[in-house]
Amino acid sequence: MDNELGSIETEMKRGFLQLLVLIILEKDAYGYAMVRACRKLGYEIEENTIYPLLRRLEKRGLIQGKWELNEERPRKFYAITSAGREMRNGLLAIWKKQDEIINHLTKEK
Amino acid sequence: MYKNLETYLEEISHFLSGRAERQEILSEIRSHILEKAEQEAGAVSEASLEKVVAAYGRPRQVAEKYLDGRPVIAPAFKRLLFRYTTLLFAIHLVFIVFAVIFKKSFIIFPFFFMPRLGVIEAVIYLPAAFLTDFGIVALLLYFITQSDKDFKLPWPKFVPDLDEVKAPAAKTLAARIATMVGAWIMLTLTAVAVKLFIKYQTIFSVSFNFEKFRPLLLPKPGRLVSLIVIVMLAAGTIGLFIRIFTLPRRFACWLDVVSDSMALVLIGLLLRQPYAELFAVKIPPVFLPKIRIALTFTLLFAALMIAIDLVSNLVRLGRKRLAK
Repeated sequence: MDNELGSIETEMKRGFLQLLVLIILEKDAYGYAMVRACRKLGYEIEENTIYPLLRRLEKRGLIQGKWELNEERPRKFYAITSAGREMRNGLLAIWKKQDEIINHLTKEK
Repeated sequence: MYKNLETYLEEISHFLSGRAERQEILSEIRSHILEKAEQEAGAVSEASLEKVVAAYGRPRQVAEKYLDGRPVIAPAFKRLLFRYTTLLFAIHLVFIVFAVIFKKSFIIFPFFFMPRLGVIEAVIYLPAAFLTDFGIVALLLYFITQSDKDFKLPWPKFVPDLDEVKAPAAKTLAARIATMVGAWIMLTLTAVAVKLFIKYQTIFSVSFNFEKFRPLLLPKPGRLVSLIVIVMLAAGTIGLFIRIFTLPRRFACWLDVVSDSMALVLIGLLLRQPYAELFAVKIPPVFLPKIRIALTFTLLFAALMIAIDLVSNLVRLGRKRLAK
């Protein structure tokens, strides 16, 4: 049962994480900072998942990455693009609709 | 430079081989691990890095998250990998049998060459033939998968899957009696043939008057052809006796494979007989070529029909076995 729950959770997280990153990146951030921000909110992100996701979003033009070399340690900062904002709004609308449906159905019971 | 971190990154790099952005990926992971080690342990050290590296995941697992998820062979084609391999291998096997019987090489231009083989060579050749067939089919399906097109690959209707073959109905008493009568008739014929062979070294006579036995064929070919026919009669008798009982599908398939293979070998031996020096009685020369053509055509047609049955039975058995 636990295994099954874990595998469904992974499926659910896949889409949720994309939305989460697009929301967080309204303000420029780098990978580890995003992991910490989520942890503070009580949401654990697998560290080795965030960077491949950022790379895919960057390839699709939804976010833009830039290496910051002036700091103590080189870090790649990401920022959302206009296409990313459009996508984020679309995903939020889907998310809200799904949330409404689930709320409605669970209240009925 | 931290040795354990660099070793870890090198391992990830190995699995990312061929990706243009490999160095950038590694730099990002390095930056993340160093920062996390500093945040959690207060300072970067080999010991703190070891803990963070272990938590980050196995190198292959990490690298795979960056790789394209397209499978080598699409799930929709995986079943065909086994089906096509068994079909191709079954055809290959028939060619191997022919190569052994006729002691000849075959070329089916431009793809296929079947060298002349002895029995032992053929047995050694079989695994290589199977691997070649598997490789060819896998390569074909790989290219189709990578093309990302919705090909509807065919599957010949003459070879249903074993699970699509209807289970044989339990034999009725009448059917059992009919098979039993047939088996006894075949047994009698075999016994008569054996008796004639022991007495005259051939079973072919010009007339049915066995008091004045006149052989139809010359002694040497007569002996060989008689033996072949006796073996065929005996095999047919055994087959009929087995079929009196209701057989499981798999066993019935195996029985067909064995009898088909044996029949192919025997037909091969018959085809190798020089017909010009076959008859002990005088046959008008004008008829000889016609008899030769008619005999060859009949035997080749029978061989073709048996080969098709053999292929279809092998595919049924093989596909089921490979799919497990």
